[in-house]
Amino acid sequence: MSALPSQGAGSSPALRSLETIWKARAADGLSAQRAESMRRFLALGLPTIRDESWRYTNLRRISGREFVAPAAGTEATSAPALSAEVAVLLEGLAPAASFTLVDGRPVPWPSLDALRGALEAASLRDLLARHPAEIAPALRAPRDEDAARWSLLNAALFDDGLRLRVSSPLPAPILVLRVPGAAGAESIVHPRVLIEALPGASATVLELHVGTESAALANSVTRLELGRGARIEHYRVFAGADGAAFLDSLDVVQEESSECRQFTVALGGGLVRAHLDAHLAGRGARFEGHSLAAGSGTRQVDCVTVATHDAPDTTSTQTARAIASGTSRVVVNSKVTVRPGAVRAESRQSCRGMLLSQGAEIDARPQLEIYADEVKCAHGATTGRLDPDMLFYLLSRGLDRATAQSLLVFAFLADVLIGMSAGGTRAAIENALIGQLPDATTLRNFR
Amino acid sequence: MLSIVDLQARIAGKTILNGIDLEVRPGEVHAIMGPNGSGKSTLAQVLAGREEYEVTAGRVDFDGRDLLAMPAEERARAGLFLGFQYPVEIPGVNNVYLLKAALNAKRRAAGQPEVDAYEFLALVREKMRIMQMNESFLSRGVNEGFSGGEKKRNEILQMLVLEPKLAILDETDSGLDIDALKVVAQGVNTLRHPERAVVLVTHYQRLLDYVVPDHVHVLARGRIIKSGDRSLALELERRGYDWLLESKVA
Ligand SMILES: Nc1ncnc2c1ncn2[C@@H]1O[C@H](COP(=O)(O)OP(=O)(O)OP(=O)(O)O)[C@@H](O)[C@H]1O
Ligand SMILES: [Mg+2]
Repeated sequence: MSALPSQGAGSSPALRSLETIWKARAADGLSAQRAESMRRFLALGLPTIRDESWRYTNLRRISGREFVAPAAGTEATSAPALSAEVAVLLEGLAPAASFTLVDGRPVPWPSLDALRGALEAASLRDLLARHPAEIAPALRAPRDEDAARWSLLNAALFDDGLRLRVSSPLPAPILVLRVPGAAGAESIVHPRVLIEALPGASATVLELHVGTESAALANSVTRLELGRGARIEHYRVFAGADGAAFLDSLDVVQEESSECRQFTVALGGGLVRAHLDAHLAGRGARFEGHSLAAGSGTRQVDCVTVATHDAPDTTSTQTARAIASGTSRVVVNSKVTVRPGAVRAESRQSCRGMLLSQGAEIDARPQLEIYADEVKCAHGATTGRLDPDMLFYLLSRGLDRATAQSLLVFAFLADVLIGMSAGGTRAAIENALIGQLPDATTLRNFR
Repeated sequence: MLSIVDLQARIAGKTILNGIDLEVRPGEVHAIMGPNGSGKSTLAQVLAGREEYEVTAGRVDFDGRDLLAMPAEERARAGLFLGFQYPVEIPGVNNVYLLKAALNAKRRAAGQPEVDAYEFLALVREKMRIMQMNESFLSRGVNEGFSGGEKKRNEILQMLVLEPKLAILDETDSGLDIDALKVVAQGVNTLRHPERAVVLVTHYQRLLDYVVPDHVHVLARGRIIKSGDRSLALELERRGYDWLLESKVA
């Protein structure tokens, strides 16, 4: 590993500890790619607020720490019991298959015999040991290394996770539950989930990230690969204690005529960095990326969504709705790039924020880069407060102030919620969102 | 029922209400007329509890309670209803749910149980028939995409469901076609009751053909400068406001 650049005095304790973890790991079938990823990660260093795509997210709470790899023997062999808060999110959901990753490692899952011919699952640890070449292509460097540098680290250090292969339409959602286990707060884990929808297949996938104060830091990566004409509706939901931190990267690669609808919902945790990189590689591919970011207390939420049009007749829609109370900071940044040759591409971006307190901050930013002809791109961004006319109207009808405010907040988020077609999932997310607003009981009756 | 004494209010450093005196008794219908910008909507909003207006003097007694000490939502629950001149659109908040929440808020304040779901629907359907509104309006966002006239009908629908003691209707007749005007007037007349009162803010005598007022007032420059009976409205229709404003100066 001598090819790695050594870090100077300016490097943080976290970076040095990550380098130590890297040096200690055993070689495997992907060592060459891993070394390259690690080299790039170390060259970039940990992001600071001086980096363009990290301007609003203060990672001090991470960069000051010294990480260790989870100790051997802490691995869970069964799924732990769920907290009430998480159970609420899963209420009404009847998944076709469920997988639980504890500290990034899948625990044995129930038999998939009933889905034979439609869904196959494998642990990445098994694949790494037996067919590393099957995983190698998915480790390709991200397009925007600056924004996605944590996924480089994941590529270097991941040693487990899940690969799901969907080969025909699935009747019900797949649940991937990510929960903390015995690995302590000083450790960092790098789970990776690969979901392949083969040509013509379709699936709804709910990835629920749950964090706690004392959990290991999860630097997770999910990759969705959609074959020709495949469809995926993907949800990633971040929930949990204020002390929890999530670093998550979602890569989407779409072949011809495929359709991906993605919903990112940040409901909990102290720090959520949710990156999404959608690559519309095949003609006629359609991508929708919707973010709902709820900031409260001192939470920092940073949702960055990038859609790259790389083929003719591709379309993308991005909707982001952010609310922020307390002294929370929420970033919803959506970017569209139309590459040369992606003629007749169409994109729409709408980023809106609603501030619910004096001390909160929201940055809602759409960005657009066009290098092709005959494209149609529309975007808009606004950040404001509760509309005083709307609020007065509701009060003048006798509604409690808290109820009126929550109703308006909920209405503001409705643009994204309405698009969620996985019935149980939508209800659960609405429920959890409502739970964060004042006067939840009355609001529940409103649905 | 409503007793306003020397009410003064301002917004953005500008005094709009200059000392209003008005007495409304149960069973009465009052009409308030007056030039544009004279303060009619301001008076209506101040009475409904809009906080952006600063009340600088005066007292308002509503049913024996100090109205100005109550927040807007309490005033509504105590039986005051404002029909807005410009009802706001609230996409994402369902029209029928707002109706139900408003009714339940009122019932809770009166110590009554929440309305039964079937009873509620029957009640709303009956009121919608009076207002000749299609049921599809129920499932839409509050006033979302409603035409001007539909918004006004929706205001009266809410009024009929809530059965307020005092309804202040701010230009509910503006922008209505002739048939709609009759429907709205019928809605208002449905509410008339010896125990209730209505204050109509209007520019047109036409509405008063259908909802006959007991008293007519002229509001100008933040004051009531003339009061009379029904015939005052007819006279204003003929002569406009100039003669009144001049005589005031003289
Ligand atoms: N928020 C505000 N800021 C500044 N001035 C205001 C505000 N609200 C009302 N005004 C002013 O107060 C005055 C009275 O307005 P109001 O809406 O009460 O008039 P009105 O009698 O209802 O008129 P119209 O017949 O046109 O409806 C107007 O000059 C108006 O510009
Ligand atoms: Mg007015």
